[in-house]
Amino acid sequence: MFFKCIRYKILLLCLVFGMLSNSYVSKASETIVIITYPEVEPQTLSKNTLRSIFSMRLKTWPDNIPIRVFVLPDDHPIHSTFTKEILNVFSYQLRATWDRLVFSGTGQAPIKVNNYEEMLTGVAKTPGAIGYLKERHLNNSVRVLNVE
Amino acid sequence: MWNRHSKYYPSILAQIIFGLVALSIVVTTHADSKVPENLQVHGFLSQGYLLTSGNKVFGNSKDNGSFGFREIGLNASLQPMPSLQLSAQLLSRHAGKGNNGGIRVDYGFADYRISSDVTKQFGIRLGRVKNPFGFYNETRDVPFTRPSILLPQSIYFDRTRNLALAGDGAQLYGEANTNFGDFSIQFQTGLPQVNDKNSEVALIGGNFPGKLRSRLSYIGRIIYELDGGRLRLAVSGTQLNVGYDPAAPFGADLMAGLVRFSPIIFSAQYNAERFSITSEYAIRPFRIKDFGVSALDMNFIGESYYIQGAYRFNQEWEGFLRYDVLFTDRNDRNGRQFRTSTGRPAHNRFAKDMTVGLRWSITPEIMLRAEYHRIDGTAWLSTLDNPDPFNTNRHWNLFAAQISYRF
Repeated sequence: MFFKCIRYKILLLCLVFGMLSNSYVSKASETIVIITYPEVEPQTLSKNTLRSIFSMRLKTWPDNIPIRVFVLPDDHPIHSTFTKEILNVFSYQLRATWDRLVFSGTGQAPIKVNNYEEMLTGVAKTPGAIGYLKERHLNNSVRVLNVE
Repeated sequence: MWNRHSKYYPSILAQIIFGLVALSIVVTTHADSKVPENLQVHGFLSQGYLLTSGNKVFGNSKDNGSFGFREIGLNASLQPMPSLQLSAQLLSRHAGKGNNGGIRVDYGFADYRISSDVTKQFGIRLGRVKNPFGFYNETRDVPFTRPSILLPQSIYFDRTRNLALAGDGAQLYGEANTNFGDFSIQFQTGLPQVNDKNSEVALIGGNFPGKLRSRLSYIGRIIYELDGGRLRLAVSGTQLNVGYDPAAPFGADLMAGLVRFSPIIFSAQYNAERFSITSEYAIRPFRIKDFGVSALDMNFIGESYYIQGAYRFNQEWEGFLRYDVLFTDRNDRNGRQFRTSTGRPAHNRFAKDMTVGLRWSITPEIMLRAEYHRIDGTAWLSTLDNPDPFNTNRHWNLFAAQISYRF
């Protein structure tokens, strides 16, 4: 009885610990960061400003350099996580906003890349570029932007 | 701003801007054999199928149905400098007798940002600009931006669509992003497009020798968005003026009358992850006067609204349910006064449409839709497709399917 109880507790502990460490690991690797072209002036932006940029309303950086927005496809898992957790909007809303701009002529669509490699190279070589990535895909060709 | 004689000037402006965009594409592609990085070209292509009972929609949709509903659009935009954008779209729409698929300039304008910072943007658009009213009017011919194949006809009815599309003139716009939400304001003045028989028949009830002529009209809209668009509220107001140029002396033709249409639309939308609820309500005063014919001296107020719920099962599948109501004259909702005074069927003056539909996004670029309408009344039915009001059915059904591609 006693041993059985201990065994259960150990098992339970292992399970809880396993779950914790598991979720910890997955969370760390899932962390999404905002990246910019290395020479982009601002290093910190508010969530509101970030939303204005990704909804294509704000067109220039403070130094008047055009903002080049890079995004992954609508159905890409990183894209949905990014819109939901960083911008706090759903990807279908962002799509509707872009479509309204593009098909009424009042704005332009963001630049679509197919995967994170293209995201990284696109943002690294385009002046004024902004995009997003999983933290573990980062390298030093781009700069990480802080979100307030 | 535009006087009567400069009637053609703004549409020429739209064409010039379109030409400029096209030219800069050609020049830049030839010069460096690569396109400028901020040039964008987008477009869409759609083919619809409609099957109706009782009345015709977009061609002969009765019996075996009709494939006569087709929408094709191509647009280009360019930013020669950060504060300036040139945009133009060509559109072809095939939809019954009112739209024969001819290519026209849907919009073509220059957008100049007078000032812009993180929290405020302000600018002016000159040329042919889409009319900002309600949630859907500016992109009403783009299948991907609509909630359904047919927009709720109570608000966006297609028989006077050309009037509603765009104005040749100027639009001032401003946007403000605050901690308690985003505001977007537009005010526009210009000439609506009335050079089509559908508008004439819909507005003054017949095809007369003279021609309708657009007069200076006004549109304004304010949109408030809370929490990145989770809640969206809008109010739009329009005063649309259309005059008439008689082709013959009075007796052989009408007098130079005026049609004034001044709807106000209230719009609200709530967006959650899985579902969206949208509702719009419009009150639409309509005045016709000075045509010299008592039957064409009209003054009534229309009323319309819809409520729509959409549910996203997953990224590919979405369903919606909508109830849509139109009263041509809100003081005569069942049309009986109209029947007494004109002898025409009462059901020509109202329409109640219950719709259920599905959307399947096969890929983000290809979409398939199907929807079924049960309709009571014919108030928004096209008069060109259904010329005889006595030969319309009060209770009728509509099934539509549409496949659309975009890039």
